[in-house]
Amino acid sequence: MIEVLKKTALNKVHHELRARMADFAGWQLPIWYTSILEEHRAVRSGAGMFDVSDMGRVWITGRKAGVFLDRVLTRSASRLEAGSSQLCLLCLEDGGILDDLLAYRLATDRYLIVWNAGDIEQKLAWLRHWAGSDPDIVIHDRTADTVMVAVQGPAVCRLQNLKGVCSLPRFGHTRTRIENVEVLAARTGYTGEDGFEIISDGANAAQLWESFMRQGVKPCGLGARDSLRLEAGMLLYGQDMDKSTNPYEVGLRWLVEMDNGDFIGKNALLEIKRQGVKRKLVGFRMTGRGVARSGYKIVRCGQEVGKVTSGGCAPTLGVNIGLGYVPTELANIGADIEIMIRNKPVAAKVVNRQFYKRGAQNDP
Amino acid sequence: MTPKEYKYTQEHEWICPESKNKGKVGLTDYAQSQLGDIVFLDLPAPGTQVEQGKKMGELESVKAVSDIFAPVSGQVAEINQTVVDEPGLVNKDSYGAGWLVRLELSKPSELDALTDSDKYDEFVAQLTENESEQAGG
Repeated sequence: MIEVLKKTALNKVHHELRARMADFAGWQLPIWYTSILEEHRAVRSGAGMFDVSDMGRVWITGRKAGVFLDRVLTRSASRLEAGSSQLCLLCLEDGGILDDLLAYRLATDRYLIVWNAGDIEQKLAWLRHWAGSDPDIVIHDRTADTVMVAVQGPAVCRLQNLKGVCSLPRFGHTRTRIENVEVLAARTGYTGEDGFEIISDGANAAQLWESFMRQGVKPCGLGARDSLRLEAGMLLYGQDMDKSTNPYEVGLRWLVEMDNGDFIGKNALLEIKRQGVKRKLVGFRMTGRGVARSGYKIVRCGQEVGKVTSGGCAPTLGVNIGLGYVPTELANIGADIEIMIRNKPVAAKVVNRQFYKRGAQNDP
Repeated sequence: MTPKEYKYTQEHEWICPESKNKGKVGLTDYAQSQLGDIVFLDLPAPGTQVEQGKKMGELESVKAVSDIFAPVSGQVAEINQTVVDEPGLVNKDSYGAGWLVRLELSKPSELDALTDSDKYDEFVAQLTENESEQAGG
């Protein structure tokens, strides 16, 4: 059977802009419009925008919505104030990561979760399983009839149509209008820059997009989305983490609140924490010539010790970087490792995985 | 746009015959536009013997790894160190400053089997047409 690619409400706009399209988690999305490097630089130095409508948007409402989310997430959603949001994890009972997501508290009994595009059905089934038939928990997936645009870069608060939301703190959100389009705007992002993620009805997608085009915001594709997030040391679910990894290995222990009641996976995670982990996800920088790619072997003294999960060039830093799993004893800044690139070992060094830091010196 | 004096392969390499048995080799403009920003080149060392149609090197764009094939057989006489240091030159000037290697041809008659610029343009037009059919709808 041929799988039909899902199209976002901006699909036609992307084609009109002559974007190079690609398949991503079942969606047809732009990989680039003009050039990945140009788009990457636009976000680091000015403002760029991305169609991130592939990200799932699920409203969780009802009297027990907060209690329910506290049970399925690794951080307490009910402790959030209305108007704020936080990153958290959805864990399986064995502590494996089912997804990473943003949980927004919209009002007392209204929440929104924004999660990755992959395995949507499986994740919804997981939520419904734990919600049971409780009439006080309503799960409403609105991914198909809404659109989400990320506007990112140091210049976002100089854009006329974002002036009204620039008083929002990081992770804050509000309902507002952008050129007459009703939106939910949140000060969040996945690029390592200041920015907003904006949700509206699919019917208004083109109008919203064009209002940013008129402000000179550069359309950016999946290529830059990936190079920006990697450079900022942000993880990609399905690549850097998945069901077979736990928050302690991937370095996301700060997303696990052990005082968040009896959440799913807690007992397993307590045990993992007690025992310690055998491997860790680290950042590395190539010191030899070559580009590391996902799936390449990491070796030390001629022996395979792990795998690269993400790799590529860091355009802002002018070096080649990556993420990968290594045994805990090698997970120290400065440790020498080698990456097997087409059967040749190429030297690399373990470094802080926040390769690029906004406003910092960013020496390679 | 495609230089008339060059010869082309269906793998999107070009060779510019400089003398009877020497030629400069590079990637076509279509190739660079398909690959996107090129960030890394792995070229054969001078002295390496290469064979027509066989892999002689590799390049990495931001997104992916691709092979570079030898348009004709021969020996690598020189590599363009400038492009190794700045692979983006292939995107900026694929037929000029972005050349890759200079070959000493062992079988100059192989050039006859390559495509001229008009035929190559037609070939690319066909590919582009197929592509826009796939993208549309």
